[in-house]
Amino acid sequence: MLGFTLKRLLTALPTLLLVAVAVFALVRAVPGDPASLMLGDMATEASVADLRAQMGLDQPIVAQFARWLGRVLGGDLGQSIQYAVPVLPLLLERFMVTAAVVVAAVAIAALIAVPAGLLAAWRQGSAWDLGVVATATLLMSIPSFWMGLLLLLGLGLKLGWLPVVGYVSLSADLKAGLVYLVMPVLTLVLVESGVLIRMARAAALEVLRLDYVAHARAKGLPEPLVLARHVLPNAFAPTWTLIGLVLGNLLGGIAVVETVFTLPGLGRLLVGAIFARDYPVIQGCMLFITFVYVMVNLVVDLLYPLFDPRVVAE
Amino acid sequence: MTPNRLRPTTPARLLAAAALGAAAAGGAAAQTLTYAMNQDIRSTNPGVNRDGNTDAVAQHMVEGLVGYDAKGVAAPMLARSVQVSPDGRTYTFKLRKGVKFHNGAEMTSADVLWSWNRYMDPRTQWRCTSEFDGRGAVKVEKAEAPDAETFVMVIDKPSALFLATLARFDCGSTAVLHKDSVGADGAWIKPVGTGPFKLEEWRRGEFVTMSRFAAYQPLPGPPNGTVGGKRPLVPTLRFLHVPDAATVKAGLLSGAIDIADIDASQVNELKATGKVSVVSGPTAQMHTIILQTKDPLLASKPLRQAIAAALDTAQIVQAVSDGLGVPNNSVVPSASAYYTAVQKQGFKHDVEKARRLLREAGYKGEPIRMLTNKRPIVPSFEVSVIAQAMLQAVGLNVEIENIEWATQLERYQKGNYQMQSFSYSARLDPALGYEAIVGPKAKQPRKVWDSPQAQALLDKATEVTAPAERQKLFDELHRLQIDEVPIIVLYNNVDFSALARRVKGYAPWFASTPRLWEVSVQ
Repeated sequence: MLGFTLKRLLTALPTLLLVAVAVFALVRAVPGDPASLMLGDMATEASVADLRAQMGLDQPIVAQFARWLGRVLGGDLGQSIQYAVPVLPLLLERFMVTAAVVVAAVAIAALIAVPAGLLAAWRQGSAWDLGVVATATLLMSIPSFWMGLLLLLGLGLKLGWLPVVGYVSLSADLKAGLVYLVMPVLTLVLVESGVLIRMARAAALEVLRLDYVAHARAKGLPEPLVLARHVLPNAFAPTWTLIGLVLGNLLGGIAVVETVFTLPGLGRLLVGAIFARDYPVIQGCMLFITFVYVMVNLVVDLLYPLFDPRVVAE
Repeated sequence: MTPNRLRPTTPARLLAAAALGAAAAGGAAAQTLTYAMNQDIRSTNPGVNRDGNTDAVAQHMVEGLVGYDAKGVAAPMLARSVQVSPDGRTYTFKLRKGVKFHNGAEMTSADVLWSWNRYMDPRTQWRCTSEFDGRGAVKVEKAEAPDAETFVMVIDKPSALFLATLARFDCGSTAVLHKDSVGADGAWIKPVGTGPFKLEEWRRGEFVTMSRFAAYQPLPGPPNGTVGGKRPLVPTLRFLHVPDAATVKAGLLSGAIDIADIDASQVNELKATGKVSVVSGPTAQMHTIILQTKDPLLASKPLRQAIAAALDTAQIVQAVSDGLGVPNNSVVPSASAYYTAVQKQGFKHDVEKARRLLREAGYKGEPIRMLTNKRPIVPSFEVSVIAQAMLQAVGLNVEIENIEWATQLERYQKGNYQMQSFSYSARLDPALGYEAIVGPKAKQPRKVWDSPQAQALLDKATEVTAPAERQKLFDELHRLQIDEVPIIVLYNNVDFSALARRVKGYAPWFASTPRLWEVSVQ
């Protein structure tokens, strides 16, 4: 297990290096200048030149890259152009907001999707199955921003149950913080549970057709036990992989949901940085997101043998 | 567990109770005035790491020796009076007495001098250093504080723009700050200024909160630009970052937001709800179509004149502002003290004349590319679409290239375009407006109008201070601009602000920045 983990971490290093090079090159290839943006249309040539020099943007591109990479290797992602603060604490602070929403949403979505998919497969062709499939398809088809706005208008504006703007961090006030997270979490639960239901159902259908399930039934095992003991553990492994992918994907930023619900998360930080051409933040965010994605997949792989003993992490 | 607890309404009740709890966490929500910003501020350091929102927020905490009045004229703020020597080079500022900083210290000329020296120190990275070190409008040769109430600045040549530049929002109004604003190493901490509100907290990506500065010494009279009465009437002020327009609308209707800028298309819809009122006012922000006069095709004056004649300014303005904007082909803003009958004489829409001028220019259908962007805060894209149709109607082969704002701004700075649908931020003095467009393209590629005659008029307008003399110069510049057509100004933006019913005293103004002093909630 330890050897597998170390091997995976080592193989992540070239990935991160490639991402660093690609992101740096792509960001600099995009037109637009952070100094001009900061100064706006009132900027003079002299003030733009001053600011570019202060930012180090007048240096050769290779020198800029070497300096940035050197800092990154030392654990310093640089200084935000936009906020004039170190990038790493900034993005960690924003990541915690995103992570709180995403982890809660994916956990709840999985708790809903796995039983729903299992029961739908168990009663394939029934009204329940049709209802679950139709609902899952509908949820998959609704974009997150639209779902968010519907909830905002329904739960926030029409019913007045939840606050429509603002954010309170969980560390500042747990109760108020949870209230502000209800709608973003619910949005992601609804949107992401559709695909998880479909996967759980498909995996369960495969398992239900296997001989050992027929054998379990033939020996008189009650259906709930058949499902719980023989179908669920074997059908869960593929869904677990998908949960890992969804988690990694969402942790990389839920900019749309964060924008609708005014959450100060990682996605909004990244989008804002792109518009402001805040190079250090863009580069830092992309590296961090890659790292998170690699780590989430590593954890998923390490936990996989728990659900499917045929798989060994080595 | 009682059956009552299992009723389906229970989750709703719990949510509502929790929401009430969350609202209560705000404590004095009823006493807090919440203004929605579409973007977060960049810093609390006036005139340094800044953008439009940063400038606007800073205006509530800091003040300079001079500010802008409602007509865009520089007027005393922390200065009691400003005396200019006969040669126009020495400015003597007599300071107001009893003005306190947020830390309780009384402002003296030593603070003004310290602030000035800090601004001019390259380590401060003040955005306007180049305006005062000889590379811009003037060179400040000397700044001194001969006594506690007097501050003197000597500049290298007479300048009508000196005070106006000191007051500029992007320069942070050259705010007078207390030394406690920075640490022992000179690093910025927070603004300890003299403004009506004190900074309480800035949470990046979320909000800026300020509290009422109880010891604020307002100027007498009603609000007047950034001078005049500026009493802080609410105990707490919150600038809330809400990036999505739909969320802003929901926030306004739910009462979570008190004031938000909205675009013209939302005015009637929001008014119809009966939950908010909408106020509007003309600003100095300028929506234009700029023409690259060094482009081989657009170097032709008849061709540029044909473009101007082909455009029906009134119709464009009507369409993009929902009938609420007023056409203005002049660089002088329609709300400026210098906007007179001369400036009202703009381009005449004349299709036949446009076609005749095209023939005269020898135009043979060559493509002309117009850059535009889809920023929600400006009508660039809508203008470009309508203008394209009008230009095509007279035979001009205009193509639209929609690009992101950062890219467009870079191409503007480099002069790399043929035409652009472009919006200029508010410049309150007409000379600053002309300064943005007039200049030698070889040295300043961003300049739109490379004309020795215009340059001479502008140079004069930046020197003379007598309003009547300046008026003549602006009149001449306007006539010349209409004839040479380097730029087609369409109109000055109209700001629309939606207000919760409980808000009293708020109004948009010329500079297109929020002013939340003298505003109360009931």
